[in-house]
Amino acid sequence: MTGELRAGLRAELTKLRTTPAPAWLLAAIVALTVGAGAAATAVGGSPGTDTPRLALTGVQLGQAAAVMFGISVISGEYATGLIRTTFTAMPRRASVLAAKAGLVAGLGLAAGALAVLGSLLAATLAPPGGGAPALSLADGATLRAAIGSALYLTLMAVFGLGVGAAVQDAATAAGVALGVPYLLTIVMTVVNDQDLGRLLYRISPMSAGLTVQMTTDLSASPIGPWAGLGVLAAWAAAALAGGGLLVLVRDA
Amino acid sequence: MHIEVNDLRKRYGPAVALDGMSFTVRPGHVTGFVGPNGAGKSTAMRVILGLDAPDSGSALIGGRPYRSLRRPLTHVGALLDAGALQPGRTARNHLLWLAHSQDLPASRTDEVLDLTGLGAVARRRAGGFSLGMRQRLGLAAALLGDPAVLVLDEPFNGLDPEGIVWMRGLLADLAGQGRAVLVSSHLMSELQDIAGRLVVVGRGRVIADAPVAELIAQTGGGDGRAGLEQAYLRLTRDAAEFRGTTS
Amino acid sequence: MSRPAAHPDAMNRGSMNQGAMNRDALRRGLIDRAVLRAEWTKFRTVRGWVAGTVAAVLLIVALAMLLAGGSHTSCSNGPVEVACPALPIGPGGQAVTDRFYFAHRELTGDGTLTVRVASMSGIITYPPPDHDEIVPGLVPWAKAGIIVKQSLRVGAPYAAVMLTGKQGVHMQDDFVHDTPGPAGARWLRLARSGDAITGYASADGIRWTAIDTVRLQGLPRTVRIGMFVTSPSDLSVSRNSLGGSITQARFTQASATFDHVTPGGPWSRDEVGGHEGMTDWERYHRANGVSESGGTVTVTGTGDIAPRMDAVKPEVSLTGVAPGLIVLVVVAVTFVTAEYRRGLIRTTLLATPGRGRVLAAKAVVAGAVAFAAGLVAAAVALALGTKMLTAGGNQVLPVSALTEVRVVVGAAALLAACAVTALALGALSRRGMVAVTAAIAVIIVPWTLATASILPDEAARWLLCLTPAAGFAALQAIPAYPQVVAHYAPADGYYPLPPWAGLAVSFGYAALALAFALVRLRRADA
Repeated sequence: MTGELRAGLRAELTKLRTTPAPAWLLAAIVALTVGAGAAATAVGGSPGTDTPRLALTGVQLGQAAAVMFGISVISGEYATGLIRTTFTAMPRRASVLAAKAGLVAGLGLAAGALAVLGSLLAATLAPPGGGAPALSLADGATLRAAIGSALYLTLMAVFGLGVGAAVQDAATAAGVALGVPYLLTIVMTVVNDQDLGRLLYRISPMSAGLTVQMTTDLSASPIGPWAGLGVLAAWAAAALAGGGLLVLVRDA
Repeated sequence: MHIEVNDLRKRYGPAVALDGMSFTVRPGHVTGFVGPNGAGKSTAMRVILGLDAPDSGSALIGGRPYRSLRRPLTHVGALLDAGALQPGRTARNHLLWLAHSQDLPASRTDEVLDLTGLGAVARRRAGGFSLGMRQRLGLAAALLGDPAVLVLDEPFNGLDPEGIVWMRGLLADLAGQGRAVLVSSHLMSELQDIAGRLVVVGRGRVIADAPVAELIAQTGGGDGRAGLEQAYLRLTRDAAEFRGTTS
Repeated sequence: MSRPAAHPDAMNRGSMNQGAMNRDALRRGLIDRAVLRAEWTKFRTVRGWVAGTVAAVLLIVALAMLLAGGSHTSCSNGPVEVACPALPIGPGGQAVTDRFYFAHRELTGDGTLTVRVASMSGIITYPPPDHDEIVPGLVPWAKAGIIVKQSLRVGAPYAAVMLTGKQGVHMQDDFVHDTPGPAGARWLRLARSGDAITGYASADGIRWTAIDTVRLQGLPRTVRIGMFVTSPSDLSVSRNSLGGSITQARFTQASATFDHVTPGGPWSRDEVGGHEGMTDWERYHRANGVSESGGTVTVTGTGDIAPRMDAVKPEVSLTGVAPGLIVLVVVAVTFVTAEYRRGLIRTTLLATPGRGRVLAAKAVVAGAVAFAAGLVAAAVALALGTKMLTAGGNQVLPVSALTEVRVVVGAAALLAACAVTALALGALSRRGMVAVTAAIAVIIVPWTLATASILPDEAARWLLCLTPAAGFAALQAIPAYPQVVAHYAPADGYYPLPPWAGLAVSFGYAALALAFALVRLRRADA
């Protein structure tokens, strides 16, 4: 790690530590994921239930907080004009964005891991019932679903950062970062054409990414679990690259 | 129409913003509202304008609280923060929605645009305006309803020397027409020659409330600009929250 | 310089002013024309908001065109691909299934028919769990009974009383109307008097209960009357990992023996809505038909007399409503949060000190804009989408003009409710990002979870009753019929609440959010 990047990371961490919003958003990732997961589990399952996936349903809601966290790391600075101070202190904007991305990924992963552990713990303490199979982290597929879900939340946060860098206005960024994944998912469920539906599944960051949670019926899925997470990673990388390019060429 | 401020008190948590502030602004002249940063000027103005609620006390305009005024901009014009604009909206459209909210004809927007020298840029987006142009637009908004009372917070900020001269002339004219004009500033030089009265505040209270000439005489300072500055510094010596060691 | 902490006079005056202010505000009302006009001027003079609204309309229409234009269906006739036949239409305008075996004769003028259903039995082919044998049994809505039908034409008006597989005696008419009869009845009677047909049922053939009297408009003097049997497919539904569900339908057949037939035969025999090919069961075991012996008549049939559900639903063209809603949410939120971000809210409150009137005006403008945009977008999307779907050979379930209007207005109302909710969330949080995310989290997330087969059906139904997403029920054009077995789950477009109730929930949340926003706006300093 270069000295500059280290200094950038420290500066960004200080900024995050000294305002309350990021901590709240990180807490929201955990609370929303665990809460919604517990609520979904409480409704109950059946013998065919994919218990790990049901227990981790909360990720669907937690990802909203994750995206917000990513956006807030950059758009807050644009809103207040602080970005000019940041770029005056660290003129190499790519380093600034890299530092922000590192921080978002690190903290997002920490919050994601807590959220996933909390969800699994909740589903262990209050199992879904209805004859749904019990949870066991010793099961390879369950472990993969758990690790994958934490990574999913991380990547969604990084995706949010990229969109936030590109769009600047936080409200619009939230609309884009959540709207585009939902748009693809919504269209996917109604297209008549099976091939087109499977294609949309494969390119949609949300559907493909959440395949990592599936522990049953994987053979029916249009994409494998890790490949699906890779699709989301590609979206996050593309958003970050696009946002970074705009940050470089645009006046602060 | 008078502005009557009566024993206003307001705290923000442990910080006391207004600590029993009372004063009156009379029609016919410019009343300077001065004091160091954090003295409570902006809070007092926001309470007068019904934006903030005081913990106790009252602020009345023509005997009524601001929030009870019908079509308030036809009674009171205010300039608080020149930056408070939607950047994508043009100057004229900014005034147009304000005019609509007061049931004023759209033609009134063109009148105040000409009055503030913004006629040529009326159809440009306000986001591209300099601070000086924004101040002019803010003043145009304040004058839109042809009000009897004007409350202006730091109207000289960002104006170039020519603009300062223009603003002073305009304020003097407005007072001369019989309006009550309250102008806050932390630079005494800006109020030189135009303020008939000064309300000096510090730490949320009124320190002095008197005609300018009387203030200069009281504090026994020199004459003219230097005298007013001296008088002000002497009055606010104990009231300032932040001050370098050089003074 | 010490003063008393609170001057009693000042306090009194303060509260008097407060009282005067409240009376004043009440007298002037919450909706102020001038404030409304000012907020509308604000809205239309910011390019981003107008562009966002237009983008939402275009998104809704474009998605309809994309989905409808990309959808082609053809039916196979043996090895040959042919255009699918037009859906049969019932007297109410709905697409119908009209297939049954009919032992019938002419009825001219008024008259009655009375029968007893002596026995009813049937078979179900390859049911779950193992799908490996043909078992005796009746599906719940297998039907055996008597019917008055205008003619043998598929879709012709009718009224019938029947014994069902597992649902007891029912009277049904014109495919969509269903009235349950008394429990335990085996005797059935139909009486025609002009346009009016009355259905009766009885357990003993002595004490009769009138179930209902229906009027078949424009019934000719001569109609067909007789005994019929039909049996709908046995359904099972499995989940599709892509969303939606996969429905499997299995052939069934029912037979019923009628005795005490009064007046008696002779009977003509016809398979109404006859079919394109025979199943192996019909070919090698038992064909549909009628056999008479002495006074008893045995009828064997398959099919259904019911509204049809298994074609393309017209609201597919309104898929864009949800994405369009996200765009309108961003517009509505920033319509209020942009003012906080720039401090413009203070100028607004200077011009209109009444917080309630400002919020009401903003809500009216945002709601009206979303409603108007939704009305245009949904009308164009539905009309264009249906046209393109039909052109692509898809069988689209027809709905009445009134239903189309209801769906279009419902879509617009849904968008309006959600825009107002989003605006109120913006006023509550004052931060655009938080409000947009919150609005998406309470509207789009529950809707997606419920309709994209992510949650179990029961949880999905709860979500669509309890969250602001309930208003999506307004998009449902084809109702669920209790007398037809189908997978009535949100994943298949069936909402737990009726359209008006769903919209009421959404508007309830909008009102609640506005109330909280108003409390916050009144309490806090600007």
